[in-house]
Formats: sequence, structure tokens, C-alpha cells
Amino acid sequence: MKNKLIASLPAIILGALTAIAPQTFAHACAGHDVPGACHYSALAASGVGVVIALLGVAALFVGTRERIGLNIAVVINALLVLAIPTVLIGVCQGAMMHCRMVMLPTLMVLGALAIVFAAIALVMDAKSTNAAATRVR
Amino acid sequence: MPHITLGRLPFENLKRKPFRTAALLVIVTMLSATFFGGAMLALNLNAGLDSMQKRLGADLMVVPQNTGAKAEALLTSSTSSTFYFTNDIASLVSKADGIAQSTVQTYISSLTADCCDEQVQIIGFNPATDFVIEPWITSEYDQTLETGQVIAGANINVSTSGTIKLYDHEFPVAAQLATTGTSLDNSVFVNQETIPRIVGYSAQVGHPAIPEEYADTAVSAVLIKVADGYSAEQVADNITEASGLDGLGYVYPGGITATTKTNLSAIVGYVALFLAAFWVMGVVVLLAVFSSSTNERKREFASLRIMGATRGTLVGLIVKESALLGLIGGVIGIALASLVIFPFSTLIGRQLQLPYLQVGVPTTLGLMAAGLVFAVLTGMIASVASAYRLSKPETYLMLREGE
Repeated sequence: MKNKLIASLPAIILGALTAIAPQTFAHACAGHDVPGACHYSALAASGVGVVIALLGVAALFVGTRERIGLNIAVVINALLVLAIPTVLIGVCQGAMMHCRMVMLPTLMVLGALAIVFAAIALVMDAKSTNAAATRVR
Repeated sequence: MPHITLGRLPFENLKRKPFRTAALLVIVTMLSATFFGGAMLALNLNAGLDSMQKRLGADLMVVPQNTGAKAEALLTSSTSSTFYFTNDIASLVSKADGIAQSTVQTYISSLTADCCDEQVQIIGFNPATDFVIEPWITSEYDQTLETGQVIAGANINVSTSGTIKLYDHEFPVAAQLATTGTSLDNSVFVNQETIPRIVGYSAQVGHPAIPEEYADTAVSAVLIKVADGYSAEQVADNITEASGLDGLGYVYPGGITATTKTNLSAIVGYVALFLAAFWVMGVVVLLAVFSSSTNERKREFASLRIMGATRGTLVGLIVKESALLGLIGGVIGIALASLVIFPFSTLIGRQLQLPYLQVGVPTTLGLMAAGLVFAVLTGMIASVASAYRLSKPETYLMLREGE
């Protein structure tokens, strides 16, 4: 149960925050005549955030081995959260623009935390799988 | 069952009591995060103040009537603005006594064209007479700034082709300056001959920065270094008298620095006070938890004594457990504080409305090491009472109480 919660709750919370933040407090720059990079980064990050949250929900209802797979998916999606505003799409260049000052660091922090928690869950689930395998032998 | 050595025993003890360990870790994590975050904040603010003091090299600024507040905001925050004299203020000011050096600057606030173009402060200066910006620029760009070229502050978005677009015109960027933590990071610098061109471009896009008849002569401020034996206030009086203009605005950069220093001292003082109070509370909680757990673990210690452990071994065990907690909590705390302090540094500087300059990597690494030492020491201090009780001569009797 403990492993299950560690493997799912952080992903649900961090995924939900990744989905909500770019649409609320860590929004893209306002006043676009033509949507800029930050606008598309916000949309993409929200989408990936929803996926991470759903992976977290799924982890509540599956076995240890499946949770390992789901957490690998969380790590990959969290890497996407880091890559979207930095490499794949980007944000506005101005250092004082809202998207660079708030949205970019918020997504960086949420992505990094999602990776750390998913890695912890992976290690814990891998250990318990190994322990179970040893007992069977 | 894995073989547990004496060296691994502290770690295994912590592992076997996950809730107690987690609770203690939370306290140490919060302490080290507060220590590291608070110290980093104070260091960055001090670095910002130092940087600001270096950049405000004038003793007195003469500005148009009712624009003193705008000029102060321009020096201290990232608020950009446009103001100018319509008369030949430089020659009027030069008649006054007590002026060692003087130079003129022109301030123009650019347009915000769209979401991805920021409003920037354009500062026109005279490289031949300037004693405020020029020495700083020279330290990073040792060539002559040509007419039509700009030098960009650290926060300015320079295109990949090395230009910046102002009033729908691409200006070549001769150099980009290092971060100062002040409003100058959001400014671009041009020589005075470039100002009429900028005014022309602004008129072409339908937003003239300055009426075209003043484009060649517009001056926003006269910056003055006062002569020895004069105060900035005396020179201001002399200028009023010599120029015959009663409504001139005077800004004293030294006073702004002093005010900023006072505000900064207050913030650093509060941070230090909060940190001290928080640390005392944390240590008291840790002391209580360690003492009570030592009490509960009498049987365990008695067993270890029976197996041949000395009093020193037991004390070492307690101290190692607490040091390990301090180390793990310290690493987590510093990592958490770093997740806020570093990515959000621009936002923090903007919200504080004070000069805020991120200190360099060596200082940051030094502070991280200090934070870790602080966390380990805090953990060890919290175990002192328990270790003392175990090291007393009557320890054996105390242990027997638990049998």
C-alpha cells in the first residue's frame, strides 16, 4: 500500500499542477496578437500534465510490475515537461516576461520533482519485486 | 536476514523506525532549507546593493520639474520612462560652483510592440564626458560605441543576428553587458548622436518619443560629481541660484543607496531573527525526540552492552544516527530551497523591488557546504543530552532499568 501511494500520489498531484499552472498562476504572456512560443508551450505542458496525472491514477489500480512501467512513463513525460519550454517549443526571450520569469521555472520545478518522485517509486517497486522473486525461489 | 555490521547499525536503526525518522527528517529539512534559503537571499541582496553602489557613481542628478520620482524609479527598479528638458540645461548647470565633473544623459522608454517585445529603457550618454556608465561599459567593451550601435543590458533580448528591434528598426548590438541586478539590466545604451535617429524612427511608427524639434537637444538629466569641500545639497542650491530655475528636480543617488541599504538591513535582520527562532525551536524538538527515544531504547542499549559494546560505542551510535539524519535532511533541505531560489531568482528580485544579484558559483557551493555542516551539527547538538546520559558512569544501572 505504501509503495502504491508513493508511486501514484506525487504523480497525480504534480501532474495536476503541471496541467493547471500554465493556465492559471504560471500563465503564458498576455496580449498576443499572434500566439507566441510561450502560448504553445503552456498548452503542450498542460496536456502532458494531464497524462502524468492519469498515469498516477492508473498506478493506484495495478500491480507492482505494471507500476514500474507506469513510473517509467511518468519519468519520460516529466522529461517532456522540461523539454517543452526549453528545447522543443520555448518561451519568450525577454528575461522579465511573465512566461520566462514564472511559467518556465514553475514547469522546471514540477518536472524535476515528478522525475525524483517517480525514480524513488521505481527503486522501491523494483526492490519489492526482487524481494518477491527471491522468496519464490 | 542480511548481516548488520556496527558501521551500518545507525542506518539500520533509522530504517527500522520509518515514522520517527521521517518526522525528524522533516524538521532537519525545514531547518536547512530555511538556513540555506535565508542566507542565499541575504547574500544575493548584498551583492545587488554592491552592484548598485558601483553603478550609481554620481553625487547629484538634475532632472526636470516633478520628475524626481521617475528618475529614482529608473535607478532602483525596472520602471522605464521618458522625460527631458526643453532648454540648454547643461550650460545653465555648468555656471554653478562646486561641480567637479558633469555629463548629460537622455532617457527614452521604448514601445511594447507585442507580447514578446519588452519595454526597455534607452539611455543616451556622452562617452567623452560620462563618468557613470562609461567606466563600467569600458570594463566589458573597450571599443568606441559608434552612432547607430547599441550596448544591451543583460536582460535584453538580442536576436541571433546580433540586433535589437526598437521602434520597428533593427539596431546592431555592439556588446551585451553582464548582469548587475539593477534596472540597468533592462536598458540599452546609445551615444547621444543616436538619440535623434531613435526619435526619427519613433515618429515613423506614429509614437514620437520626443517632439522632433527637441530631438537634437533633448537632455533628461545632468549627472554631477561634486568638487571636494562641497555637499550635493550645497551644489543643488548653487545650481538653482546660478540657473535661475526654481523648479528643477534633484535626485541624490547616495541617498537612494542609503535608503536601499536601510531597507536591506531591515529585511536581512528579519530573516536572521526568523532563522534563529526557527532553529531554536527545531533543536528543542529534536532534543525532546532524541531524549524520549533514548529512554524507550534502554533494552536495545542494554542488549548491545551485553554483546560487548562500550559506552563509547553507544554514544557513537547515537551521534552517528543524528549526524546521518542531519546529512540526509540537509541534502533534501538544500535541494528544496535551491528549487525555489535559483529558478525563480528573477521573480524574487522583481517582487522585492530591491537590487538582487545572484552570487557566483563558488560562493553558492560554499554556502551549500556550510548548510550541510549546519544541518549535521544541528542533528549532533540535538543528540548531546542522550549521549551524555549514556556516557555517565552509572549508565550500566540506567540500562538495567530497562531490562
